[in-house]
Amino acid sequence: MNDKIQSQLHDRIANLDSLPTAPTILTPLLEILRLPSEKIPFEKVIELVSLDGAIAAQCLRMANSPLFGSRYIETARSAIMALGLERVCSLLFSLCVNRSMPRDKWVIDPITFWRHSLGCAVVTQNMAKAVNYPEPEKAYLAGLLHDLGMLVNCILYTDDFRECLRQAAEQHLPIHILEEQILGFTHCDSGQILCAHWGFPKDLIDAARCHHDVALLPTAGPLACLVHLSDLLCRVRYLGYGYDEILALDLGSDVAWQTLFSSYPAFKSMDLARFTLDIEGAMDQIVATVDSIFGNKVVENKKAAAATT
Amino acid sequence: MPVEIAKVKVGSVPESNPADPAYLKIRDLIYKVSGIYYSAEKLYLLAARCARRMTVLNLATPAEYLERLLLRTSDAEQRLLLNEITIGETYMFRHPAQLDALREVILPQILQVKGSTALRRLRFWCAGCSTGEEPHTLAMFLLEQRDKLLTGWTFDILATDLNDNSLEMARTGVYGEYALRNTSHVLRRKYFKDVGEKKLQANELLKSQIRFDRINLSDDSKMLFQKGIDVIFCCNVLIYFDLVSKRRVVQHFYANLMPGGYLFMGHAESLFQVNETFRLIHFPGTTAYLKPAVSQAAGGAK
Repeated sequence: MNDKIQSQLHDRIANLDSLPTAPTILTPLLEILRLPSEKIPFEKVIELVSLDGAIAAQCLRMANSPLFGSRYIETARSAIMALGLERVCSLLFSLCVNRSMPRDKWVIDPITFWRHSLGCAVVTQNMAKAVNYPEPEKAYLAGLLHDLGMLVNCILYTDDFRECLRQAAEQHLPIHILEEQILGFTHCDSGQILCAHWGFPKDLIDAARCHHDVALLPTAGPLACLVHLSDLLCRVRYLGYGYDEILALDLGSDVAWQTLFSSYPAFKSMDLARFTLDIEGAMDQIVATVDSIFGNKVVENKKAAAATT
Repeated sequence: MPVEIAKVKVGSVPESNPADPAYLKIRDLIYKVSGIYYSAEKLYLLAARCARRMTVLNLATPAEYLERLLLRTSDAEQRLLLNEITIGETYMFRHPAQLDALREVILPQILQVKGSTALRRLRFWCAGCSTGEEPHTLAMFLLEQRDKLLTGWTFDILATDLNDNSLEMARTGVYGEYALRNTSHVLRRKYFKDVGEKKLQANELLKSQIRFDRINLSDDSKMLFQKGIDVIFCCNVLIYFDLVSKRRVVQHFYANLMPGGYLFMGHAESLFQVNETFRLIHFPGTTAYLKPAVSQAAGGAK
């Protein structure tokens, strides 16, 4: 990315906050997301959840989804108890971002995007737990927002990004390769600038910035490495960008794996084959959860299909 | 109490609630003895398999069944459960993701490496081919690639099993609707002939692609004899082997393969702690084990 593109991106991203569609809770929510987990104010989060009926309803759907336990939950307070404060903030955040996107700017299919993002969140968190990374909820958030740059590209470079996706699908290539060719920067660059602009902690910014760049990973910190591996795993288990990629991954030789290997001894005994099967098992629930929260239509169709069989 | 009576009534359905913690223990036991793994979301499948055995044994709860599996003389019961687990696993085109990986990545890689040598020949081995669905699938797949990827190349498929009856059925090549459920009408017309009673038989072209042989995978002398294989399929066969024998067979496979060759196992089958020399490679929807070529050994994921 050259300097001219970079300063142009900075300016345009700074103006994103004035999108007419951005929900009013985005600003206070961003403030909360900058806090360390133990300082998140419970009552403030309840207030944010309850402020917007549609968002409150989506929170309840998430709390009642099979991915997070299928208890019947009726109030914002019990949803927060069930999901945990950090999880609720992550959810609120993705709902806000989803709402902020003008409808005609969704170049990537929103369901595909959120399936990949939520998939990556769940996988990053599971991997974090498997290797005893101390902040699994932060890992979840890192996975959830690692591809935010794609939405920036959707809004600011709509036609060019559409062309990136088209060519990437046609050539079965990773999207960032086409972004580099066509835009001159990738969703990692735009995601990094947005995350920094929103004041996210440095390791979250680095996860967005470095998750496709093997040269940066050894110094980017464990979170970026976890997200890098989870992103790849999601993409070989049908939670990718919505088109077929030709991939053959030797994760054990991957630089992120090697980097984590040296600082997290639990990685040495990790059963990757079993971990992959666990992800495959959770995939249906990730899909169902996203469909129930972000895609009313899809769920209704599925229900209708279920009713007729 | 009427409830108790209902529970022990002959023919009653045994308890098969997959949330029962006993199933987690059965899952872990099966993983340890066989390498087959059920994720939390697939436990209901394991519960259904167990339920069939529990009905036969007239056991009411998974905890009782777990106890039976853990008895000192439990090898036979473990084997019977593994039989239940693999029932219905074999039909043609059971794992399209494996064939996609072959077409998109593995064959192009191997063709490139071997392209520099004079002998343009690929060798495949279905080890433990049972009644032949897998080698017939592979033969159809490769025949379909003759004018595409494999222009100018020849291939042979060795299909082996220990069981003479299975081998005889595989050689005859007669299959019913279940075995052909994933086989398109185009392929059926091209590679099979109708032999009545809703059964199809592999035609001469298809049959001539496969060489069937009886091989015991534990027979070291025969295993040492197999050389220069490019891809081995060994799906749900090693699950019946104890760890020591399994290690030996997999080590043989490693020696049998060309550098850059691949070993495919069953979808839910893992080689964790069985072998450290193969590299686990993830493809879309499937995984395989790679014997690294010298130059690939230090490579990483993209």
